Amino acid sequence: MNELEGNMTHPDSEVLAEFRAGLITGRHGARISAHLAACEHCAGLCDQLAEISALLAVVPAPAMPEAVARRLEGALAAEAAQRDDAERIVGDSSRDGTPSPRPRRRWDFRLVALRVLAPAAGVAVLAAGGYGLSRIGESSTVSEASGSAASSAATAAALPQARAAVPSSAAASRLGAIQAHNGLQIVTSQTNYLRATLRQQLAGEMKRYAEGAAGPLRPATAPVKGCVLRVTEDTRPVTVKLVETARFQGQPAIVIVAASGRHDVAWVTTPTCSGSSDHVLATTTLPGTYAS
Amino acid sequence: MPGTDGEWPSDTELLRRHVAGDSDAFGELFRRHRDRLWAVALRTVCDPEEAADALQDAMISAFRRAADFRGDSAVTTWLHRIVVNASLDRLRRRAVRPVTSAGDEQALEALLAHDPDPARAADTRLDIDAALRILPPPQRAALVVVDMLGYSVDDAAAILDTSPGTVKSRCARGRARLLPYVAHLRGNRSASERVSPAQGGDA
Repeated sequence: MNELEGNMTHPDSEVLAEFRAGLITGRHGARISAHLAACEHCAGLCDQLAEISALLAVVPAPAMPEAVARRLEGALAAEAAQRDDAERIVGDSSRDGTPSPRPRRRWDFRLVALRVLAPAAGVAVLAAGGYGLSRIGESSTVSEASGSAASSAATAAALPQARAAVPSSAAASRLGAIQAHNGLQIVTSQTNYLRATLRQQLAGEMKRYAEGAAGPLRPATAPVKGCVLRVTEDTRPVTVKLVETARFQGQPAIVIVAASGRHDVAWVTTPTCSGSSDHVLATTTLPGTYAS
Repeated sequence: MPGTDGEWPSDTELLRRHVAGDSDAFGELFRRHRDRLWAVALRTVCDPEEAADALQDAMISAFRRAADFRGDSAVTTWLHRIVVNASLDRLRRRAVRPVTSAGDEQALEALLAHDPDPARAADTRLDIDAALRILPPPQRAALVVVDMLGYSVDDAAAILDTSPGTVKSRCARGRARLLPYVAHLRGNRSASERVSPAQGGDA
């Protein structure tokens, strides 16, 4: 607000956005109107603000992944089955009239037990679904996990079963998606990159990585995460595609590849790279791996 | 059973059947709106796993609280409200959870691919989803509800449990923050020149 001394000063974009939203009126609003009529730059910014709303309105909704759909269907089916059970029990006990007190006591007991069990069942379903999701894109284990959770909804047995379904090794083709779900993973690669052949070697490595053959994966350490943020800072927006420990000219190095627009950008840094310091040994651009 | 004449029962009818004990009605309602609900959860929490958790919380809650639905709004509005709130709840819980360095983790998260589909066709959507991630959750939720779902400011205020003025200001501040990304969002290579000629800043 303070930067609007007169028509000469450009209001900042937040002020313009608030003005467009009708939040700035009176004399302050009138001055902004006058400024907009005279200033092409700020009028352009207003157009762009309008464009943001328009873009957001038309961006297609992402379809729910099948694994998520199955998991939620399972959870809702379990919920419905549980409700049906509870209702049947209530119905039976009230329809009984006044027979011998014995069965009624049994029903009452079951009803209480169900009530007590209900929250636990919810937890089991959640946990099972969670594991299913970490393997998004691979169907078999997912349906198994959520299916078992649904059918044995009220039993805690669903839990260890789902635990056993934790993926052992990363499967081949969807590594990008797995990256996103497991957080940043680093490949331990045996490749020795050479300055002269860096691009070709990286192209080969990206292919091997997509096939799951670049080397074992492990979660990135905090310094490596810091390094990735620092190194990619001037190139953003980027999407990180590959981070690995490897060798460069025979010396240990960290290699980072990120998609930026239509290209991939690669950085080779010393292993000491972190959020507070980096020493980039080499950098190059590659045609986007997914471009074809 | 009353109201079974139509092949395509209304949302309200499905919810009524669910409350009356029909065990398939809620599932049907969910299938009908699942992509929209998924988009709301995903864009509010910006993480597929958290979004699935949030959506499950929301659907279970809606399943159990269906009898509370009074019909003073559309069923979808009621569902969106539950999903947005479950999503914001998740974010609050995540914020409390100790992370090595929360800011960095979030910034890093934003750089990771979130769509299993590598096809470039989805570029604009990926870019917008990435850009939304830089916003504080309340601003993001407001833009999701108003700009993406197209609710009026008043309806959005009801969904977000806040005042219309707050919705307007969250949307305005969110759009202003997204402004530097607009050239990129447009996918127009020459656009960057037009962004900020006067201040000489990098677009």
